[in-house]
Amino acid sequence: MVVENTIDTFDAPPEERISRERFETDQMWIYMGPQHPFSHGLWTLKIKVDGEIVTDAEPVIGYLHRGWEKEAENRTYPKIIPMADRLCYSASMTYTHLYCMTVEKALGIEAPDKAKYIRVVADEICRIQSHLMWLAAMGTDLGNLTIFLWAMREREYWLDLNVRLCGQRMTTNYPRIGGVRNDTTELFDRDVLRVTELFEKRLWDIIDMIDDSSIYVSRMKNIGCLTREQCANLGLTGPAMRGCGLDFDLRRDMPYSKYAEMDFEVPVLQDGDAYARYRVRIEEMFQSCLIIKQAMRKIKALGKNAPYRVKVPSKVPAGRTFCKLEDPRGESMMYLVSDGTDKPYRLKVRAPLFTNLSASKPMVKGCRVADVPVVMAMIDVCMGESDR
Amino acid sequence: MALKDWINYADYSDLQNFAYYPYETHNIVYEIGYNLYQVLGGLIAWIIDVLFPNNGLSTWLMSGPVVNLFAIVNLALIIFLVIFTGVLVSLWQERKTLGRFMDRRGTQIGMKGFLQCVADGFKTFMKENTTPKKVDKMGYTWTLSLVIGTSVLVACMLPLSDRFYIVDYDAGFLIVMAIYALAPLFILVSGWAQNNKYTLIGGMRAAQSMISYEIPMLITVCAVAILAGTFNIGGVVAAQNETMWYVIPMALGFIVFFTASCAEAERTPFDLAESESELVEGWQTEYAGMKWGLIMLGDYLRGFASCAMVSLLFLGGWNIAPFVSAEANAFLPELVQLLKGWFVFFLMIWVRASLPRVRIDQILNLGWKVLTPLAIINLGIAVVLKTGGFF
Amino acid sequence: MAMKYLDKYPRSTAKTLWVLKPLWSTIKLFSKTVVRRPVTIQYPYEKEWLPDNYRGRPGLRFDMCVGCGVCARACPTGCIKMIEVPDDDGKMVMRPEIFLGRCAFCGYCAEFCPTNAMTVTPEYELAEFYKKNLFWGPRRLNFEDTTPEMEVHYEVTLQSDIDAGNPERRVHVFDVDNPVVKEDACIGCRKCEKVCPVGAVTMIEKGLNERGKPKLVPVFDHDKCICCEQCVIDCPKSCIHIEEAL
Repeated sequence: MVVENTIDTFDAPPEERISRERFETDQMWIYMGPQHPFSHGLWTLKIKVDGEIVTDAEPVIGYLHRGWEKEAENRTYPKIIPMADRLCYSASMTYTHLYCMTVEKALGIEAPDKAKYIRVVADEICRIQSHLMWLAAMGTDLGNLTIFLWAMREREYWLDLNVRLCGQRMTTNYPRIGGVRNDTTELFDRDVLRVTELFEKRLWDIIDMIDDSSIYVSRMKNIGCLTREQCANLGLTGPAMRGCGLDFDLRRDMPYSKYAEMDFEVPVLQDGDAYARYRVRIEEMFQSCLIIKQAMRKIKALGKNAPYRVKVPSKVPAGRTFCKLEDPRGESMMYLVSDGTDKPYRLKVRAPLFTNLSASKPMVKGCRVADVPVVMAMIDVCMGESDR
Repeated sequence: MALKDWINYADYSDLQNFAYYPYETHNIVYEIGYNLYQVLGGLIAWIIDVLFPNNGLSTWLMSGPVVNLFAIVNLALIIFLVIFTGVLVSLWQERKTLGRFMDRRGTQIGMKGFLQCVADGFKTFMKENTTPKKVDKMGYTWTLSLVIGTSVLVACMLPLSDRFYIVDYDAGFLIVMAIYALAPLFILVSGWAQNNKYTLIGGMRAAQSMISYEIPMLITVCAVAILAGTFNIGGVVAAQNETMWYVIPMALGFIVFFTASCAEAERTPFDLAESESELVEGWQTEYAGMKWGLIMLGDYLRGFASCAMVSLLFLGGWNIAPFVSAEANAFLPELVQLLKGWFVFFLMIWVRASLPRVRIDQILNLGWKVLTPLAIINLGIAVVLKTGGFF
Repeated sequence: MAMKYLDKYPRSTAKTLWVLKPLWSTIKLFSKTVVRRPVTIQYPYEKEWLPDNYRGRPGLRFDMCVGCGVCARACPTGCIKMIEVPDDDGKMVMRPEIFLGRCAFCGYCAEFCPTNAMTVTPEYELAEFYKKNLFWGPRRLNFEDTTPEMEVHYEVTLQSDIDAGNPERRVHVFDVDNPVVKEDACIGCRKCEKVCPVGAVTMIEKGLNERGKPKLVPVFDHDKCICCEQCVIDCPKSCIHIEEAL
């Protein structure tokens, strides 16, 4: 669009007028969302584009606000566990785990060893299936449906493991305050190692499709770049942070449950672009498989009769408790204010994605419009937990 | 007069004596259209003659110019229906094949999923046909019809065999390419006229990518024309039948043309004009109901036309193979051409299943910095082969 | 321990011929799926095998239920309501009715059931044309092929047992907890006796009240008591509470 600065140029001298008459292009705001194929969930990303280049961006959330925290204040402690399942559809196990850990801390009791190992296994199953869900969504964002279906196919095995373990695919409702709902079933013990071994083989097919394809790699490289400083200032956590070179993982550095006994590596890459975040997540899946194998060995060593759930009082003593855990998407934290009754006075959830979304502006700035879905796919958007 | 007197069946030898026969060679579609009109028009003429004996209308209906007119109408209908069916088959083929690539089943409703196309057609008909308030009505409607119209024209202009064509003209591929190249302009105008930011960006992208991919395509067509010595489609096919499929000497050209035609037809690695993950539906966003259905049909027609062109240019067209006897080649050449087209379409589906969408700057880089030089190298190869006396 | 994937990648894409590797892997899968069928399960015609502990709709074994209302109180969505229905002998008894339109399939009703009358069932096809059909009465909740695996056992270990070096003892929560009455506040209204679903409460005369009349206080039979808290809730003077064993 040609815009002439007519008002200015009328009274300017002719030489200057020529220099001022230049091509100016209008920048425009594009609203991506709330109903847009790129936004997995209901949120809006306003982007300002200059042709194809994004010059500014602003995330708008709040379309999925359900009043989760307020709702939790009206329920007794055990009744919040199924609600914590529904914070995020693909991280139900970690959120229930976090909630149970928080209440246990407030009560001052420890879950039995076996429950902790089972929780580790359940968490890692949850992490793998969540990462597969992300991989599937990433495939569609990049315009290839094959990755979507292949990743979903692999994910089914992990969801079947959830069924074996606790009877439900996604809203698992499995950890309990003071332990877990039930002991591992025979079917689960049999299948979990099989699935892990099968998965370690079949994930390479998907990796072949993505990493050996120059189009995939060139779509992901050098976009959505963040430096270490930006990353720390924005409060990014999880794989998105580890792709930027910050070497921090709660499982290793502030171990909870039984992670201190597990032998695993935390992948960290220095590149800080979308491809680095992708690679961190893929490696995390392999490391999760390792953790599952180790934890299952420990569960077997503990024997069938080890306690998995201790009895807890229904009333929580007054106090303030804070607890955090490594979610598939980052660090999720819960802050519980209890007042001595059987209902929490206040339960605050700090979702990793809420802060990660705030990084969308520096990440998409300077990208092309076509890169926006790719960049945003790499922080694995899930609106259930950010809006709550 | 009896019914028999009104109906005058004709085969090619009779048609040659028909004063209004518009072709120089045998055209089976015209023959079918002619005979079809003979049956239907003859019946009507006979009924009118029975009711009102010795009237002028019956004789006028069966007179030469009128018969010719209706025969040509029938010809147009038959060619469109055949191409349309071919496109529906390729649509079905895409659904089933893509499903197998992704480890799923594809459509399953009716005739192994073929009738899903029909169901989808009905569905788009049933949808509310909305027009947004602030669109530019003229640009919105006319560009749509022109995009679809040129797509249909391109798909129908490509012959299925040496007896199944509309016009036999020496500029053959040039005209086809010229009509093919019209669509980006209409898409650009349509994207502008819809008064929507997504369509605007989509239209720009479509224009950019299509224009940059026209050039390697045209250069490759030129290389083929140099080898064959003609732009005439039948001539190119006949030349391949005499020597060999041009995919063998010009494998490079085949790859360039195949990639460029993927981009021209907006197939998935290059479908950034309608890239649904960022631009909702690209330049088609504001089209609702059957308008959108027709756009989809137009897209697949263009894909079908691309495949038919690859088959004609590189895979020997409607002849089975150069070493096959002429009698075998003469058996249903239309089917051979369709099968080859579907085979090329299978390759396109394969590419779609394997690759993600290319970004706009990458597609332009690929078009101008890779495919165009390769096409020129291919042209050089063609010149060397021709001047070296190999062809 | 080494990285499995990061050690191998990124490879140079020129080495894998840019796009030929993905093309090869898709055509490999294509040739497989053409021979064997794809992994899709044709849902309405073929169904996935489900283990017995699958959490579908709740099931109720009518005869085992005592109508204590624990499920109704444990339900996080409040979809269970206790209604009066005639049992096999025609006597009116309290049984749960479940509104499945609101059910979250959390399995709490089966888990907290003191008598294990509530079970989870592997039935999940529950769509109805009318909302009223989603109210599942106690008789309709019956599931024919209930197996022992469908019961969810609320078995816990006491922390005191673990400390005493006896971690293998599992107890049911309702076996160790006990209702305790504050006898000073009790007015002897017999409400607890009436509401107790298992008849574990007997009223006995014990001492005299301030006016010199004999005083009635409840006595709980700990073998019969299922610790359903019905007496706690219905006590007009709030003088009963549950003593939790830990």
